[in-house]
Amino acid sequence: MTPRFQWSPGPVSWQDDVSPLPPSEWNYDRAAHLLAHAGFGGTPEEIEKLADAGLERAVESLVRYEPLPNPKMQPFGESGFWDPTLDRFPESRPDASDRAEKYGASMGVNVKPAGNRPMQPVSDRFFYWLRATMLETRRLGYWWANRMLQTTHPVEEKMALLWHGHFATHENKVRDYRKMHQQIVLFERYATGNLRDLTIEVARNPAMLYFLDAQYNVKGAPNENFAREVMELFTMGVGNYTEKDVRECARAFTGWYFDDLAFKMDPEKHDDGIKEFLGRRDNFDGADILKIIFEQPVTAEFLAAKIYRFLVRDEISPALRKQLGTVLRGADYAVKPLLTAIFTSKDFYSAASYGGHIKGPVEHMVALMKHLGAESMPGVPDFNQSTIALGQHLLNPPSVAGWAGGKAWITPGLLIARGNVARDTLIPDMTGFRDWNFNAGTDNVLGERLRDGYDIGAATAVNDPAKMSEFDRVALERDEKFNTRISGYIGWEQAARKLIPTPRVAARFDLSAIVLTSGAKTAAEAVDYLTWRMLRVPAAKQTRDALVAFLTKELGTESVDRAKTYMEDPLRMTVHLLMSTPEYQVV
Amino acid sequence: MTNKNPLTGTGVSRRDMLRLGAGGIGLGLFGGVGPVPPVLSQASSSVAANQSGKILVVFEWFGGNDGLNTIIPYGDPLYYKHRPTIGIKERDVLKIDAQFGWYKSMRGMQRLFDNGKVAIVHGVGYDRPSFSHFTSISFWHTAAPNSGNEYGWVGRTAAGLDPSGARDNMIVNIAESQTLAVKAPKHVPLVFVDPQMFKRGMFAQEKPVLDTLAADREPVGDAHKYVLEVTKSAAKASEVVRAAWSAYRAKANPDLRLLDLDKVVALIEADFPTQLYYVPLRGSLFDTHVNQAAPHDRQLQYCSDAIEGFFSEMQRIGRADDVVMYVHSEFGRRVPENTSLGTDHGTAQVNFVIGNGVKGGMYGKPPSLSELVLGDNLQSTIDFRRVYATLIKEWLGADATTVLGQPFETLGMIKAQRAEKHATP
Repeated sequence: MTPRFQWSPGPVSWQDDVSPLPPSEWNYDRAAHLLAHAGFGGTPEEIEKLADAGLERAVESLVRYEPLPNPKMQPFGESGFWDPTLDRFPESRPDASDRAEKYGASMGVNVKPAGNRPMQPVSDRFFYWLRATMLETRRLGYWWANRMLQTTHPVEEKMALLWHGHFATHENKVRDYRKMHQQIVLFERYATGNLRDLTIEVARNPAMLYFLDAQYNVKGAPNENFAREVMELFTMGVGNYTEKDVRECARAFTGWYFDDLAFKMDPEKHDDGIKEFLGRRDNFDGADILKIIFEQPVTAEFLAAKIYRFLVRDEISPALRKQLGTVLRGADYAVKPLLTAIFTSKDFYSAASYGGHIKGPVEHMVALMKHLGAESMPGVPDFNQSTIALGQHLLNPPSVAGWAGGKAWITPGLLIARGNVARDTLIPDMTGFRDWNFNAGTDNVLGERLRDGYDIGAATAVNDPAKMSEFDRVALERDEKFNTRISGYIGWEQAARKLIPTPRVAARFDLSAIVLTSGAKTAAEAVDYLTWRMLRVPAAKQTRDALVAFLTKELGTESVDRAKTYMEDPLRMTVHLLMSTPEYQVV
Repeated sequence: MTNKNPLTGTGVSRRDMLRLGAGGIGLGLFGGVGPVPPVLSQASSSVAANQSGKILVVFEWFGGNDGLNTIIPYGDPLYYKHRPTIGIKERDVLKIDAQFGWYKSMRGMQRLFDNGKVAIVHGVGYDRPSFSHFTSISFWHTAAPNSGNEYGWVGRTAAGLDPSGARDNMIVNIAESQTLAVKAPKHVPLVFVDPQMFKRGMFAQEKPVLDTLAADREPVGDAHKYVLEVTKSAAKASEVVRAAWSAYRAKANPDLRLLDLDKVVALIEADFPTQLYYVPLRGSLFDTHVNQAAPHDRQLQYCSDAIEGFFSEMQRIGRADDVVMYVHSEFGRRVPENTSLGTDHGTAQVNFVIGNGVKGGMYGKPPSLSELVLGDNLQSTIDFRRVYATLIKEWLGADATTVLGQPFETLGMIKAQRAEKHATP
């Protein structure tokens, strides 16, 4: 017999109750609930292991994951875009050309001594790096997604993903994939570590320092960007400090900056004076300020609620928020005891927490691959394009506030896109796929024109040079220092030459084998098994019945055995449909 | 601006063509589009659902627009004292009077203003202002400064216009994720950026199953309930939006750069029943802490050109009398420039209300540049909810006091309505 849904949400009375679930209440369905929230879900075999271990050991193995070997984790393999001449990369293209005017070189490239467009190589170099770091960041996101899928420490990756959205910076402004990579490593290392230490590390992190304008925060001219966000978004929330606290906080962080990938404090730029902050008075520096912030009970409540809402459900009652804040503060901001308390609590298994969490796009994609039994992320469809379509661009959150999450993940358009991404993963368009890494978009036409023998002026003309008279075409050639439009194209080409290509392979999985192994004998049993394997909330009866009718029709029989030689694509469509249901979007 | 339809050259707008072809042949006349998709003809006939025909488009300039470098008080020497390097020189001002003028790249809005279609509102803000982008915009979204509301002011306005919540697609939000302003007690706003992503891809045989996704069922909880609701509205709306977008031919015109307002034009042209559109600027450059001159110049030009283009499109399709646009940011910027050739978060800002139905001119008392408050900031002179009340009551004809929770004096900036509106331009 195939397993059936044993939907076992606890009673409503468990809601907000942090006392531990009695061991007798532990079962397979609750283990599945745990893995779906603490990590990215899993196969029945993985869930079975947790169910067999019992609640306490199951939670322990997830939260205290360090002893568990993690053989598939590989370091990020760089394409090799960077060299030291790109250090202190210009903030803008005019900045790059100003430097070239002044010093005769910029970013390691000399200005040509004679001829038209003497600064073209400098301008090309600028765009080379913009394209290179953008393309490499796509690879970085793909690499990280594979870690989420392949890790034996799902809680570590899930929490790293939380911290990325919490201490949000985006590559689009940071413009250095190395600094983004450094952040992922940081978020993994402190994933379930001490939150005060993590926040201090973030305040010293080059990507964050650059992102929140630390270079402009100097003695005598403090810039409040970081100071405000550290209190509003990272620790306490608005309403718990004054505008004066923001200004004093900014002073304490003056002179904090970085040298390439290392934190650096410049004593010359640091304001060593007395600051008054949250009722205290001393010549605080940034680390002192953070310590004071972490002495505030509201900080523990703010962060505990953030963790809870990310892992469990959208709404948290004020009472539960207080209780969890007390746990976090009681552990001096160590995250593991809080996670253990959440995952063992009755509240976590109450009806309110069942189906109470809308999966975020990255989480959704990783869970989807796990449900299919795939062991690595596919190259077709492209991972980043898929999650962007669902509203989440890894390493490029929309603002310093990160992703809104919860209900904001679902709009009519995004919901439809979830079905489409499932379709593209299950039944990939291999012959129609084009690799966006090797597609310069509207700049492609420049390449065509240059290779057709047009000079730069004609190639970058708005109108098609082929339709111009020779006279007009000659008139296009101007005496200029450089042409940025052509640099946009050449920069992409130069970066693409070095880029390690992403293998464009379809996801590897075998639904026929999964269904045959399950013991399902009929189309109805196959539908029920796949539903049980992939959904945490049962689909509507009407949908289930329509799916059985669909699969029976596609197989031409009710018998799985009769259809086993050709059932792969019908099963893939069945799963596409299952993954398009409203139920699949929540856990 | 000519009313001639560039596609037919007849001067008959596509909207009229839709009406002429009321039986359902309309779009076919243009070739390549094929017969009117049934959903689109339904949308056309449902225009009656929008009884007044009035439309409000909110174009939110998120990021904190520097109002002082937008409508420039060039006649006040204090302005140049506060902003010795990034102050806009008199020669770069498109003058309105001896005191104020538009920033030079805003020729599009200047032209609309010169035609009497723009109300400039000075000194808009609220008491005890927040300097946080996210907090301040949430105050604007909820119309509840230093407080809060579960629903947004546009969402509540929809309930004011349609208390039963019976009208579909009352609110459209062109955004990656739902803006708080449109969160509605009675309606599910339609939220999208890319109409093509709004299409459910399927194999033919899958359709019967997909048709069951919006089936009625008991939700297991709050999140599930929400996803179920959206599933239903998605099923209804997606085809209609895509049909409108693919029928919108002016998007091919390279001179029209409408930012995301092009999607609003497409839906209005297709007689979509939406009365409230909310469009937050994406990829904003308005947060000008550092070296602000170039990005601010560019951002103002993009926005100004888009607004002028939007109204020329309204003119072309014969709906210019039916639409008012409202432009605001979450705050203005600090009066003195900072040491990075930029400006930091500030308080009061300049707003714009635009449309044929608007009595153009300048409204409100410009804040003083000598009596600064809260650390070198402007003292606001008009509570932003007075502008909201004006739009809700004077323009849309709903009860502003119910929507806003308290009475606000309106600004009298909407023209008295004409008795009979002409159907064609």
